[in-house]
Amino acid sequence: MTEVVATNQTIVVVGGGISGMTAALEAAECGKQVILIEKNPSLGGRVSQLYKYFPKLCFPTCGLEINLRRIKANPNISLLTLAEVTAVSGQAGDYSLTVKIAPRYINSNCTACGACADAVESTFPNEFNYNLNQRKGAYLPFNMAYPQRFVIDPRMIGTADADKAKAACKFEAIDLDMQPEELKLKAGAIIWATGWQPYDANKIQPYGYDRFANVITSVELERMMDPQGPTGGKLVRPSDGKEAKDIAFIQCAGSRDRNYLKHCSRICCMASLKQSTYPREKFGAEGKSTIYYIDIRAIDRFEDFYQKVQADTTVNFIKSKVASITLDKATQNPILNGNDLEKSGTGKDMRYSNAHDLVVLAVGMQPSVDFKAMNLGLSVNDEGFIELDPANGGQFAAGCASDALDVNRAVQNATASALRAIQVINQVANAEG
Amino acid sequence: MAADKKIGAYICKGCGLGERLDCNQLEKIAKTEGKVALAKQHDFLCSQAGVEMIKADISEGVTHVMIGACSRRAKTEAFNFTGVAIARANLREGVIWVRPDTDDARETTQEMANDYIRMSCAEIKFMTQPETSGEQGLIKHILVVGGGITGMTSALEAAKAGYNVSIVEKQAQLGGAAGQLFKRIPVRAPYQHPADTGIAELATAIAASDKIKVYLNATVTRTSGAPGRFSADISQESGSTVTEQFGAIIQASGFKPYDMNQLTEFNPDNADVVDQLGLEALAKAANGAAIKRPSDGKAVQNVLFIQCAGQRSQKPGHLSYCSGHCCSTSIKQAMYFKQYNPDIQTTVLFTDLRTPGAGGENFYRSGQDQCVTFLKGIAESVTPGKTGPKVKFDNLLLNETVEQEFDLVVLATGMVPNSGPNPYLEQELALAKEKKETEKVVVLEQELVFEKSKASILNLDYRQGTDMPQLVHGFTDSHFICFPYETRRTGIYTAGPVRRPMDIGQAMDDATGAALKAIQAIENSALGRAAHPRSGDLSYPKFRKEGCTQCKRCTVECPFGAINEDEQRYPQFNEARCRRCGTCMGACPVRVISFDNYSVDSVGQAIKAVDIPDEFSEKPRILVLACENDAYPALDMAAMNRSEYSAFVRVIPVRCLGSVNTIWLTDALNSGYDGAVLLGCQKGDNYQCHFVKGSEMAHYRMSKIGDTLTQLNLETERVETHEVAITDIQRIPEIINNMAKTIEKIGMSPFKF
Amino acid sequence: MSSVNTAMVEKYRNNFLKEVSDNVEEGEWVRMCMQCGVCSGSCPLGPHWEHPPQELFMMIRANKREEVLSSTSMWMCTSCYNCMVRCPRELPITHIMHGLAHYAKRLGLAPKEQPTNKFSQMFWNNLVQTGRVNELKLGLALYFMNGFSEGIKMSMKMRPIGQGMFFTGRMAPMEILGGHGVKDQKGFHAMLKKAEELEAARVGAHV
Repeated sequence: MTEVVATNQTIVVVGGGISGMTAALEAAECGKQVILIEKNPSLGGRVSQLYKYFPKLCFPTCGLEINLRRIKANPNISLLTLAEVTAVSGQAGDYSLTVKIAPRYINSNCTACGACADAVESTFPNEFNYNLNQRKGAYLPFNMAYPQRFVIDPRMIGTADADKAKAACKFEAIDLDMQPEELKLKAGAIIWATGWQPYDANKIQPYGYDRFANVITSVELERMMDPQGPTGGKLVRPSDGKEAKDIAFIQCAGSRDRNYLKHCSRICCMASLKQSTYPREKFGAEGKSTIYYIDIRAIDRFEDFYQKVQADTTVNFIKSKVASITLDKATQNPILNGNDLEKSGTGKDMRYSNAHDLVVLAVGMQPSVDFKAMNLGLSVNDEGFIELDPANGGQFAAGCASDALDVNRAVQNATASALRAIQVINQVANAEG
Repeated sequence: MAADKKIGAYICKGCGLGERLDCNQLEKIAKTEGKVALAKQHDFLCSQAGVEMIKADISEGVTHVMIGACSRRAKTEAFNFTGVAIARANLREGVIWVRPDTDDARETTQEMANDYIRMSCAEIKFMTQPETSGEQGLIKHILVVGGGITGMTSALEAAKAGYNVSIVEKQAQLGGAAGQLFKRIPVRAPYQHPADTGIAELATAIAASDKIKVYLNATVTRTSGAPGRFSADISQESGSTVTEQFGAIIQASGFKPYDMNQLTEFNPDNADVVDQLGLEALAKAANGAAIKRPSDGKAVQNVLFIQCAGQRSQKPGHLSYCSGHCCSTSIKQAMYFKQYNPDIQTTVLFTDLRTPGAGGENFYRSGQDQCVTFLKGIAESVTPGKTGPKVKFDNLLLNETVEQEFDLVVLATGMVPNSGPNPYLEQELALAKEKKETEKVVVLEQELVFEKSKASILNLDYRQGTDMPQLVHGFTDSHFICFPYETRRTGIYTAGPVRRPMDIGQAMDDATGAALKAIQAIENSALGRAAHPRSGDLSYPKFRKEGCTQCKRCTVECPFGAINEDEQRYPQFNEARCRRCGTCMGACPVRVISFDNYSVDSVGQAIKAVDIPDEFSEKPRILVLACENDAYPALDMAAMNRSEYSAFVRVIPVRCLGSVNTIWLTDALNSGYDGAVLLGCQKGDNYQCHFVKGSEMAHYRMSKIGDTLTQLNLETERVETHEVAITDIQRIPEIINNMAKTIEKIGMSPFKF
Repeated sequence: MSSVNTAMVEKYRNNFLKEVSDNVEEGEWVRMCMQCGVCSGSCPLGPHWEHPPQELFMMIRANKREEVLSSTSMWMCTSCYNCMVRCPRELPITHIMHGLAHYAKRLGLAPKEQPTNKFSQMFWNNLVQTGRVNELKLGLALYFMNGFSEGIKMSMKMRPIGQGMFFTGRMAPMEILGGHGVKDQKGFHAMLKKAEELEAARVGAHV
């Protein structure tokens, strides 16, 4: 059984991405007791799936390493993985949470030696790589996964492969009879750091993500660029493995659009500006990027990066929301159709039908969790984000549960949320003397 | 070695170590060469039984634990023993996972493992459990410099958590720039209308709080000390000065509006051309009634907002960045007019309408819904017209130039951070001059004139300048995406628009975040714990005064300005200001600076402990000093991928490449190593080094090592320094293997004994 | 120019956006356009119009009243609704196009020679006579719209279709003499008159 100590002076942080890790660490490093709950088998969240950050073009796993080291070193943090909060009751300073823990089928004996993965044959789509490749049924989600412990895919349970995995383990780490658990936890304050999910590109019919292999999403491109990713870091297009030297980026794919997400997802402009450096990184002057946009929202000092990209002759900007994508069957090149608004009034033909090797949809950011449906007594706006409202009591959002935020602002927000939670805890502590 | 030290060595045989290595030999080496008090093997050391075995020994008096198993990054929950020093010999990721399982490789693989045991035994001998200095106490009192909405929010949020705060405000009242506003951009759903500024409410709460003290018409004239023991002189206009003790500091000194008079093309002398704060004043005066223009008091019927006035521009004197809030601010201001008369024509001339996030787009739509007209265009000039300012602008979407008169023109000028003088500018200028970067020198010289004209905000009594270091454009932001509150002056956090251009909503979040960090600094410094990124580290630099030559390198090179000089000009380490990177240790030419658990000796002796085969063995030895945050994890991951690299390398993780003392290299080369590779993080403008300058300092120091090599009659190719990243999982093994090839080419070192 | 037009110019002066908002069907939506251009990119008439929808909207904001109302562009809309389903701001663009055309027509600013306009007028003229469309007359009027010789050429070209329709009983040649109409033609014309009065009063109220 999973055992954790929780009192009404405990802060529960839901979500182990960068916002949740930050909120947990900042509170724990102030001396508070924190339980960090993560739905996936390991910490890291969306940013661990990114190749680079804007605007520095540095690597997210660098910060992840620091945060993991802080977590490993901090006795104030208890971590629950494969865990989901299913119900919350009570009020500020006195919450009760129900947490469901899915079986990992591997216990803490695991040394991450990899013998089980070597032993099994069955494979499943690799969710860490947005299903762009396959992984084994016994697997470590990614190289930096923490807890550094393998997972048995539940779909493998009951198969001969599962028994092979068990037989291969010398450390009695595999327990195929592990059952789901339900925990009841106390908490004084709750931080919802459940993050975001990419908008489902299939819904944007005119862009044919569901029909054309060479139309991909921005998050998939990040995985493709990662040397540890599904293409081994090769920038190639899915249909034929040809180098994708000429890439189109479609902004507001699902964002700022009342048909899809009506809010602006904030990050996508900067994300595409960042990604426009990828073809150049791989192919030098032969790499080409074209960004189709409505407004380039390179806010505050991100503007410096925008100007840097504008100065790069391999990057082209077209002010236009792309109307539709068609396919050149012979070349498998997607063709973008639309009107270039900056040609308006010039007497030149505004229309374009531009073929590119690969199209990247800068997909929008939507909250991972439907907070309204969870009935948590929270103030949730039409966009689905948790508002900062005193009526929320001792529950706070951190990061992208509060708004569409870039990493820097998500961490800033998570740090603030840690204090908001501490305020509740300190009040409880004072009241209890 | 102190008498009460008792070292236990524990060698794991799990994960293939038992099959691939001769663990008896490892145990023997630990005993005979490592001179450990006891050495044990275990089939599965990280299991409960294994851990219990070690714990039992600890209770029997073992004070130092050497674990020969997996990487120090693995199994941290199991090998987590309190009160003892721990060293980890990385036999799994560092040896068997990077070597082929062949008979041919067996000998060299074993030698690798043998050396790692020797190294860890040597290392642990020179480690002690760190003890704090007790230099600072628990002062639950925060100094907030600046009484604008950021400072007020920080103060209230910290007070709500139970901490005392003193606000020091230069003006006669609280409120800052937000206090000059009529309304603010909404921060709550449905994000459709201007909202109350909230200043009055905050001021009332502050007045009602028994935890917050406010000094008006006051400035900070001197700040000394460190987190947990800051002392600040607060001087009031009346002439009186109060000295108070603080645990931490928040600088919320805000911004100044860009001087619109510099925008001569926009006719700034025209009374009916105002900046955004100018319009706020008009709106405030009107208080919901018709807004009148300054020149003749006529009620405004037609107003134009020019976005990005003097911003997002490379013209000399303009701001190159975007101030972030101005699009929403102009929408808000246009609504001021619409709210009392929907027929007033309000036009926003923009190039990119920047209203991000959930609220932003709602607000933009609401502006449109209220019939605010948005034109994508660029204003060329403003001149006096017949009925009001005449604006010439290009409509970018109709490709035409238009001249039109308005009753009032509002210039959305940018935010200039109200930061103190940049402490590093002179140093940067000197470096640019040394490197003969003429263009940069010109820019920096101009900046220096400006920076010198600025008044200090904090008047820090620090060896490295009076104020917070700046990142860019005068903003005191952190350079780290993941760590916005990373500060280069421990215990001092900047918040609000002095840190980065931002709107009120973000500033209030930022203020709350900074208050958390201030509280954290107070709590941790009282316990002697380091701040991020080595959070919780209790070690701090210790210094042998007798040996010091007062060369000042440590005080100059410390990336965090932690080291002052005392009256006798000796370095004065401030434990709570220190971030434990060890750059001072790396800088010290006489090696008098060390940490309890990380020292010139703990690494130096590990280097020397390696067995150096003779010149004819064809077994070179290559030393790799790897940054523990990036290069070392990358090597671990290479091992997880079972990448192979040369069996001749011996890797030592270092806190930061900045902590690498050149003596380690000279000692290594003198004792017969054939090559050395230093792996650190990216340096320069987009540095990734989490100790800011560590990697850069290492590169600089290593650029001089060529002379040493030449003196030793060794080829300069034997020492290389690389900038790598945590993602260089394939590249780092290549770098290492290339060095092995280089050695093969140039031959073995003659310094074998 | 019509008096309504003069009155509108007087009333709205330099605020064409408001004029459109107040008077054009669904015109209040024009303000919500964010100039993304997806409408024009989606329009099948792309190669033909002078001003795509978002450009018309931009021109409305830029007070280009004459140019917008006399434009042929909105007359070309074929009501395919592509723009409407794709518009990220859910503007009823198709309706706005028709609304603009209608408004221009009412003000007497619609381009007289624009074929859709011309045909619409013919259709209307044809319809109001008897209350029923006389297809034969309407067809012939259409063929002869650009002169006699053009009309002959067009008629010859269309002959096979005409013959086909005749033999299958889809076209009655005797309709040329007047054709059938609604039962109460007097009442019908009275209704039209009343409608015109009501409309004039409505517009007058706006003026």
